[in-house]
Amino acid sequence: MPTDKSANTSSKQSNWLSLDTWAVLVALALALAVRFDILKNVPW
Amino acid sequence: MASSIPLTRVEPGHPLLNALRIVPGVLLLAGIGYAGKILEHSVNGYAKAHHWTFPNIEYVLWAILIGLVISNTLTIPRVFQAGIDTYEFWLKLGIVLLGARFVLADVLKLGGISLGLVVIEITLSLALMTLLGRWFKLKPKLTSLLAIGSSVCGVSAIIAAKGAIDADDEDSSFAIAAILALGALSLFTFPAIAHALHMNDVSYGLWAGLGVDNTAEATAAGALYSDAAGKVAVLAKTTRNAMIGFVVLGYAIYWAGRDQAEAVGNKAAFLWRKFPKFVLGFLFISLLVSFHAFSKGQVGSLGNLSKWAFLLTFAGVGLRTNFRAMSAQGLRPFIVGALGEVLIACLTLGLVVGANRIWGL
Repeated sequence: MPTDKSANTSSKQSNWLSLDTWAVLVALALALAVRFDILKNVPW
Repeated sequence: MASSIPLTRVEPGHPLLNALRIVPGVLLLAGIGYAGKILEHSVNGYAKAHHWTFPNIEYVLWAILIGLVISNTLTIPRVFQAGIDTYEFWLKLGIVLLGARFVLADVLKLGGISLGLVVIEITLSLALMTLLGRWFKLKPKLTSLLAIGSSVCGVSAIIAAKGAIDADDEDSSFAIAAILALGALSLFTFPAIAHALHMNDVSYGLWAGLGVDNTAEATAAGALYSDAAGKVAVLAKTTRNAMIGFVVLGYAIYWAGRDQAEAVGNKAAFLWRKFPKFVLGFLFISLLVSFHAFSKGQVGSLGNLSKWAFLLTFAGVGLRTNFRAMSAQGLRPFIVGALGEVLIACLTLGLVVGANRIWGL
C-alpha cells in the first residue's frame, strides 16, 4: 500500500529544492552539455 | 488494486550519503530498462530470422513486464527502495528534455487542441466521479480524491489535494491504489483498442494523454503505440497536469467552506505552489529549439537523452506495481474508479475522434 509518496512528488519540497526544480536543472545542464559539445552524438 | 512498494522517505543527512542511497535502485532501474531494450532487439530479431509471426514488442513493454515480474514474485530488498523512488525524477527529466522534439508552433497547435479537450475532460470527469461516489456511498473526501485523481493527473494530484482538503491517509491510499491499478490496466487496453480502431499517432497520443491518469502510465501507454504517439501523449498529459492547481484550489475552497479544511489564503501563491514546474522546463527547451539554439544532431541527442530517462521510468512503473497488495485494499473505491475510468476513456475517445473530424489531427 502506498503509505507515503509525498517524499517524491512535486508538491513536497525537499530540504533544498523540489523534485520538479531538480528535474529542470538537470535537464538544462544536459542541454548545455549537448549545446557545447561536451555530450556528442548520444546514441539510442 | 495495484499498489506501490512501500516507499521510503529519504532521511535528512549528509547529501553525499543520500546520493549514495539511491545508487542501487537507480542501477536496478537502468538494468531492467536496458534488459527491455536488449529483449526488444533480440526477440524481434530472432522471430524475424525464423520467419515467425510475432508481435513487435517494444522495450517499453518489456521493461514494464520485467519490473512487474520482479515486484510480484520477489521481495525487493530495502537497499533498492530509495533508488526505485527516483522513477518520478527520471519521468520529469525525460519530459523536460522531450521539449527538444517540439518546436513552439507544434506545442501551441497541439497544446491548444489539448487544452480545449482537457477542460472538457476535467469538467465531465469531476462530475462523473462525484456522481459515482455518491451512488456507491463512498466517503465524500475519498470521492473528492478519486475525482481529482481521475480528472487531472493521478497520484500527484491526489497528494497535492490531500493536504489542501485535509483528507485521511487511508482515503488517499485508496485513491492512489485505484488510480495506479487502473493505470496499469490501461497500458494493455489502450494500445489494443487503438490498434483495433486503426487510430493515427496524434489521435491516439491525445487519447492516452487525456484518458490515462498517472503521468508515467500515460507516457508509457503513448510510447507503447509509437514514438510519435508517445510525444503527443506527453504533451496532452502535461497540459492536463498544468491544470492541477485550479482543480485542487476549487476543492480546497469547497471543503474550507464546510469547515473541513483550512481556508486558502493567497490564491495566486496557492496556484503557483501547486503548478508543476517541469512544464516550464519543457516549454523553455522547446523555445530554445524553436530559436535554433541547437543543431539537428544536438536535437537528436537531447531526444535520445529523453528516451534514456523514460527507460528508467518505465522500469519503475513495473517495479512499483504490486498486485499482491491489491487484496488488502477495499473493493468499492476500485469499482467506482474502474467504472469512472471506463466511462472517461469512452468519453475522451469520443472527444478525440470528434476533434480528429473537425481539425484533421
